[in-house]
Amino acid sequence: MEKMHSVCLAFSAAAFLAVAPPVMAQGNDLSVGRKMLVEDNPGELWIDQGKDLFYQKRGPKNVSLEQCDFGMGPGKLEGAAARLPRYFADTDRVEDLESRLLTCMTSLQGFERNALIKQAIGRPRTKGSDMEALALFVTSKSNGMKVNVTLSHQKEYDAYKAGEYIFYRRSGQTDFGCVQCHGEPDKRIRLQDLLHMTNKAGAQEVASTWPAYRGAHYIVRTMQWRLNDCVWQMRLPDLKYGTDYSIALTTFLNHRGNDAVMNVPGFKR
Amino acid sequence: MKKTWLKWSVYAAVGLIAAGCASYPDRATTQQLAEKMVFDAFSASPEHMKRLVQDRSQQICSKIGDEKLTQAEAAEVVKLARASIKYPASGKLVGDWKTGDKLAHNGAGDRIRNGKVENRKENGALCQNCHALAPGEINVGNVGPSLTGYGKQRGNSEAIAKYTYEKIYNAWVYFPCSNMPRLGATGHLTPEQITHMVAFMIDPQSPINK
Repeated sequence: MEKMHSVCLAFSAAAFLAVAPPVMAQGNDLSVGRKMLVEDNPGELWIDQGKDLFYQKRGPKNVSLEQCDFGMGPGKLEGAAARLPRYFADTDRVEDLESRLLTCMTSLQGFERNALIKQAIGRPRTKGSDMEALALFVTSKSNGMKVNVTLSHQKEYDAYKAGEYIFYRRSGQTDFGCVQCHGEPDKRIRLQDLLHMTNKAGAQEVASTWPAYRGAHYIVRTMQWRLNDCVWQMRLPDLKYGTDYSIALTTFLNHRGNDAVMNVPGFKR
Repeated sequence: MKKTWLKWSVYAAVGLIAAGCASYPDRATTQQLAEKMVFDAFSASPEHMKRLVQDRSQQICSKIGDEKLTQAEAAEVVKLARASIKYPASGKLVGDWKTGDKLAHNGAGDRIRNGKVENRKENGALCQNCHALAPGEINVGNVGPSLTGYGKQRGNSEAIAKYTYEKIYNAWVYFPCSNMPRLGATGHLTPEQITHMVAFMIDPQSPINK
C-alpha cells in the first residue's frame, strides 16, 4: 500500500513537471520542481529491495553478501561507499561500487560474471536490476557521511589521472569529451540542466547523489548507467559494464567531490 | 641489538620509499594508461571502434584542465579544418530553410545501442540541443551561443552564406577547438544537409529571423 502511495506520488509529480509552464529565467527555476520531488523520492523503495538481496543466501554457493569487503572489512558497510572507488588487494585493482559488487557476487556467491553484467542495467518501468538495488542499499549506508575518496596506492593515482584524461578526451563524430557539456556553469541541453563538473560543487553532486531515482524511467539508476547514456549520446559504441574506463572517471569525479555529504537515492529527471 | 636497530631502519626506509613512490603518473604514462582503458572499455565491431580513434585535431583539442592551446597548435587545427571542407556538388550553398528547420530540431542519428546503429533515414543536425533558435522557443539548450536573429543581423549575402556553410561544416576553421562538433568534417551531416542549415540560418523567412 505504501509502495502504491509513493508510486502514485511519483506519477503525479512527473505529471506536474510535464504540464508546469517552463520557466526561462537563467537560474535554477526548473530545479524547484525537482527539489519538490526529492522530498518524496520513490527511490527509497529500492533500499529495502537491496537490503533483502544483500542478506539473502543467493547464487550457486548459496551465501549472502555479508562477507563482502567494500574496503572497511568484510560486512562493514557504514561509510564504505563514500570511500569508493579505492584499491583492493584481492583483485589488485581499483574498483568502484558496482565493480566491487560484481567481484563479490562472482567470488562469494558464485554467480557468473557475464550473466550478472547482462542484467545489471534494468529496463525502465520494471523493478530494476538486482545490481541497482544492491548498489543503492550499500550506498545508503553512507548517507549523512562525507565523501572521502583518498589516493594512496599507485593504482589510485593512476585511476584519478586517467579519469581526468578521459574527461577531456574528444573523439567520434560529435567531437565530444565530457568537458564539452560539463565544463561550464549554468548550461543546459535543451531544458536539461548540466552539472558543472570541473567545479567542486558539481563534482560533489556527482559523488553524493548516485544511485538515483530516474523519474523518466521509474527506477533507480547507477553511475554506470549514467556513463552509458552519456557515451551513447556522444555517438561512442556500447560501454562495457565495470571497466577501468568507468572506474577511472568515477575516481576522478568522486575524489574531486570529497567532503560532499552522501544523500542517496538522488533524484534525477 | 645494534643489528636489530639497523634491520628495522632498513625496513622503515624501504617502507617509506614504497609509500612515497605512489604519486600522480606523468603525462606520458597517464596517456598510455588512459588510452588502453578507452580501447578496452567498449564492445564494438572494428568499424565502430574507429569512433574512439582520435584524429590529429581531436588530439590537439583535448587539452586537460587549464592547459592552453599554443598558437602553433591553433594554426594547425585551422589548417586541417580548412583542408577538410567540401562543398556540395551543385555549388549552391543555400538550400531549403524548411528542411533545415526540421533538421535543427532533430537530435538523433548514428547512436549505437547493443551494437546496432539506430535506424534513421538521415542524421539530425543537433542544433536545438545547444542553441536558442526561433524567438520565444523554449525547449532549447544554451551550451552554444543563441542563433536567434542570426540572419537578421548578418543578412544573406553570398559571403555570409559561405561563412555560415564553413562554420557548420567545420567550426574549427574559425574557432579552433571550440565545443561545436565539426558536423560536416566528421561526416555527421552531408554537404547537402548543411545547405539546408545555411538556409535555416540566413533566409529572412526562417523562424529564427522573425
